[in-house]
Amino acid sequence: MSVEAQQGIATPRIPAGLGGLLPALILIGLFFVVPVLALLLRSVTDPAPGLQNYAALLGDGTYARVFFNTFLVAFVVTIVTVLVAFPVAWMLAIMPPAFASILFGIIILSMWTNLLTRTYAWMVLLQRTGVINRALMGAGIIDQPLPLINNLTGVTIGMVYIMLPFMILPLVGTLRAIDPMTLRAAALCGAGPLAAFRRILLPLSLPGIAAGGLMVFVMSLGYFVTPALLGGTSNMMLAEMIAQMIQSLLNWGLGSAAAFILLVVTMALYALQLRLVGARRRAGGA
Amino acid sequence: MKLIFAGIVAGLMATTAAKADEMVFTSWGGTTQEAQTKSWAEPFTAGSGIKVLQDGPTDYGKLKAMVDAKNVTWDVVDVEMDFAIKAAKDGLLEPIDFAVVPKDDLDPRFSNENAVGSFYYSFVLAWNKGAVSGEPASWADMFDTKKFPGKRTFYKWSAPGVIEIALLADGVPADKLYPLDLDRAFKKLDTIKSDIVWWGGGAESQQLIASGEAAFGQLWNGRVFALEKDGADVGVSWNQNLTAADVLVVPKGAKNKDAAMKFLAAATSPTGQAKFAEASGYAPINTKAKAEMPADVVKGLPDAHVDGQINLDLNYWAEHRDEIATRWYAWQAK
Repeated sequence: MSVEAQQGIATPRIPAGLGGLLPALILIGLFFVVPVLALLLRSVTDPAPGLQNYAALLGDGTYARVFFNTFLVAFVVTIVTVLVAFPVAWMLAIMPPAFASILFGIIILSMWTNLLTRTYAWMVLLQRTGVINRALMGAGIIDQPLPLINNLTGVTIGMVYIMLPFMILPLVGTLRAIDPMTLRAAALCGAGPLAAFRRILLPLSLPGIAAGGLMVFVMSLGYFVTPALLGGTSNMMLAEMIAQMIQSLLNWGLGSAAAFILLVVTMALYALQLRLVGARRRAGGA
Repeated sequence: MKLIFAGIVAGLMATTAAKADEMVFTSWGGTTQEAQTKSWAEPFTAGSGIKVLQDGPTDYGKLKAMVDAKNVTWDVVDVEMDFAIKAAKDGLLEPIDFAVVPKDDLDPRFSNENAVGSFYYSFVLAWNKGAVSGEPASWADMFDTKKFPGKRTFYKWSAPGVIEIALLADGVPADKLYPLDLDRAFKKLDTIKSDIVWWGGGAESQQLIASGEAAFGQLWNGRVFALEKDGADVGVSWNQNLTAADVLVVPKGAKNKDAAMKFLAAATSPTGQAKFAEASGYAPINTKAKAEMPADVVKGLPDAHVDGQINLDLNYWAEHRDEIATRWYAWQAK
């Protein structure tokens, strides 16, 4: 497997004619572009033409807090995911391939399990009368149950668990591409394990961390199920607020505007990711 | 192009028209919808030959989307009454055909031009006996974290109930609840906010109380009834129980309107209502239903607890629904 393929970057090929692309374009247009345009249209026409939905969203303290919460949760989840994923990815990268593929299988298997099921499993583990609190209380370590659910802690634990594969998989690619000789060279030059990590391994793996981290961040921004089940109302995220606007308040104009803002932010971050990856390719290809 | 489109539409219509002996009933799932299926849908199908397909849970956003898109796949929907009043104003509902649905015995509190009662219920104070020492006796006790420590659970969505509970606990007399003093209610709720666990659906409320995850809470009486029937160790206080109702509506443009009206007639009949009340613990909205019910079941219904009972003002709620909801969700997100 080439380095580039491992990193998930295929060389784009431009087909001879656009004819072959037509079915795909129609499909994307009909099912992705048209609904987004309809959403945009609704956000400026429902209930009356104008930008009042955007003004309401951006001028209101509550919505501002929900936006802030959304970014805070996405940020915390990304940091924790990187911290947990790195050692796992490193282990997978240096492990004998036979063991590594078993571990890969386990990681990917977790991705195939239904999201809702996995989130409910965390509920059972984390709640006040749940397995973790009971065990800790039974062992006499705590005498009051720890607040592990309906707050930022619960959301972070649940989401990190779900995001881990999206961080581990790209990171393993990057780490495998690092020549192990560089670490040996560092050791020969007198660098201790910490210095070798900080000055060699970390800088070399930074592109993988950035790519995976941005992906986790972008996915976290729009997350619904896990925050809705494991979070509390005071750290509500944007997706849940949009659901509320659509289902409960029946204020579709406002919901569309909020969804559109989320989309714009996500696209901006995606553009940033493309630029980062592009820069990496240019640097690596030299 | 237009012709082709019209052709496709006509084709689709033809396939639905062919299924005239079917209709779709949508409700809230769980023990309540099971009781509705057994008490209403199954006998109705047996008597009329019209098959009733079950869907759910009720989703107001979905209902509006169907009506807006003129593609209504639900024929009868169980909704909260304050929503029904508002939805009728917004033109989302068909009028009820009272030539098919007998009106005389229906409790007038829960029926109007666009809705007939489904059942009525009380919010009661329920607790897990293993998690609470002593017996909470009033809503004020739910705000007394010293006397009754532990998590308390309330209904998550903006709906009649929690605001009134906070005001009652703060000492507002039952006959002075409306118009609701929202500032006062939220100030009272602030005092226990960090101890609140919200429930979003009936099954969740049952799970929270039964497991002791929440020590006590505001529950629908039918859900407590089901817990007791399952042998869960729960206590219940009917003091200041708050009544509200679910109603049955037909979304505008429902495809099987005739079948829907016949279904409503069966569901609101004395027998249908009696059977449902027996299965669910909710009160019948047909005044003749109680005559068909065993005495011990009648004793457990909300209207056996009229002493201190408070009727939530659903018309007030219908009128101020959006305004209250905006403040409710803003307060929750704080």
